[in-house]
Amino acid sequence: MFDLNFAKDSFNQILAATPLTLIVALVATIIGLGLAILVVIAREKRILVLSQFLAILVSFIRGTPILVQLYVVYYGLPQLLVLMNEWGWNTNPNGLPAIIIAFSAYGLNAMANLSESIRAAYHSVDFGQYEAALSIGMTPFRAMTQIVIPQLIINLIPNFTNIFLDLIKDTALIYNIGLVEIMGQANIVSSIGFKYLETYTDALIIYIIICWIFAQLFRLVEGKLRQRYFVV
Amino acid sequence: MLLKITDLKKQFNGQQILNGIDLSINKGEVVVIIGPSGSGKTTLLRNLNFLEQADSGLMEFAGEKINLAQATKSEIQMVRRKTAMVFQNYNLFKNKTAQENIAEGLIYGHGENAKTANQKAVQALKNLGLDKRKDYYPSQLSGGQQQRIGIARATVLNPEIILFDEPTSALDPELVGTVLKDIQQLAEQGQTMIVVTHQMWFARNVASRVLFFADGEIIESGTPVQIFEHPQKQRTKQFLNALADNY
Ligand SMILES: Nc1ncnc2c1ncn2[C@@H]1O[C@H](COP(=O)(O)OP(=O)(O)OP(=O)(O)O)[C@@H](O)[C@H]1O
Ligand SMILES: [Mg+2]
Repeated sequence: MFDLNFAKDSFNQILAATPLTLIVALVATIIGLGLAILVVIAREKRILVLSQFLAILVSFIRGTPILVQLYVVYYGLPQLLVLMNEWGWNTNPNGLPAIIIAFSAYGLNAMANLSESIRAAYHSVDFGQYEAALSIGMTPFRAMTQIVIPQLIINLIPNFTNIFLDLIKDTALIYNIGLVEIMGQANIVSSIGFKYLETYTDALIIYIIICWIFAQLFRLVEGKLRQRYFVV
Repeated sequence: MLLKITDLKKQFNGQQILNGIDLSINKGEVVVIIGPSGSGKTTLLRNLNFLEQADSGLMEFAGEKINLAQATKSEIQMVRRKTAMVFQNYNLFKNKTAQENIAEGLIYGHGENAKTANQKAVQALKNLGLDKRKDYYPSQLSGGQQQRIGIARATVLNPEIILFDEPTSALDPELVGTVLKDIQQLAEQGQTMIVVTHQMWFARNVASRVLFFADGEIIESGTPVQIFEHPQKQRTKQFLNALADNY
């Protein structure tokens, strides 16, 4: 039978692991956004070799399970540091904290998904907007920052929301590399009382609430921007 | 002479779209370009302000000689600052108000301070009788209002030349007159301009010179009377006859 009291008692314990879930999702989004912007610039400018390489990298990341990516980074990143040491760097491959692995793996994943969404949002801005800006004497850089990017951002928000929510949900896998976020904490608590359904139900409720809050938040921002600019 | 173009050539995908254009324009001239669809009129205008880059040709403008195929960034920037373009589909900035649309070029294209730029923008809107709409976004304005603001966005920059690419062909018929009157008024104030249009009464009444354009070449050029009453070339006659049949 479902032990409601156990579920209630466990809830706060599991909730206490929420910050790690949010931190990994947030840091990955920030890293991913920074990298994605560079990827989009390189690909849109068709920088030779680099743009082809990035296109392949992005499709690789988007075409493989995040759990596999997590393991590849978990075992691969220390190896990379060993290699870097051979080239004369001074790093400590054994002391790599799991959280850095998580930031790297999820950051790369976010980079791939965000770069595709940013490209789509960029292409959905009418090119005539950019040309009109050039035609009145704005530099290409100004035309981008004044006209194209603000319109791009509005187009980007719905996809950005999805990617961010996916990240929150996907961080459930980092207990595999020893990090205790919501899912890891649920595992630990359940193994104490051997009551699994209760704790996973707690985790479920927490994920639903978090995702709902962020979905509402981003929708609000998008609505405000569209209203502000009457962009339909 | 304000602008002189020599032997401008442009290909798209191996197809010759502009086939050696020679064109010179004096200050205050209103040059109207007419010609069949697909003949390269838009492409010509876009080459003049480097929205397309020509394959070859020379531009003499504002005391500078520019190799069109190898124009430097600063040459391109100079030309764009001294010209302005009015687009067929207006291309007002969707994320800017009417006032901002007009002020933006002054601020970010010409380096004026925001205060004077906004004063000029408001004045321009007053002249159009659209000052009540200054805080409206393009999506809240009619096509005619948008295009009149598009013209104000160009004129406020005080450009040496304004390039108009079919400024009225996306408008409802009853709005065409208002917008063309705005342009006519500008012409009467001495604004130099190149206007691509299918509105023949505008060409007849406002142009100081009419160019008949076909297959990437200027087939014939002259005063409105010369072109419309006494066309010399077979190609021009055909075009004008075909137009007449449509009315
Ligand atoms: N960016 C481009 N890439 C390839 N072909 C192009 C491009 N722009 C224009 N063309 C081609 O160049 C030719 C001339 O086009 P252009 O738009 O200059 O004609 P136009 O005289 O302005 O016609 P309209 O009266 O219909 O506006 C057309 O055949 C068009 O397909
Ligand atoms: Mg055209």
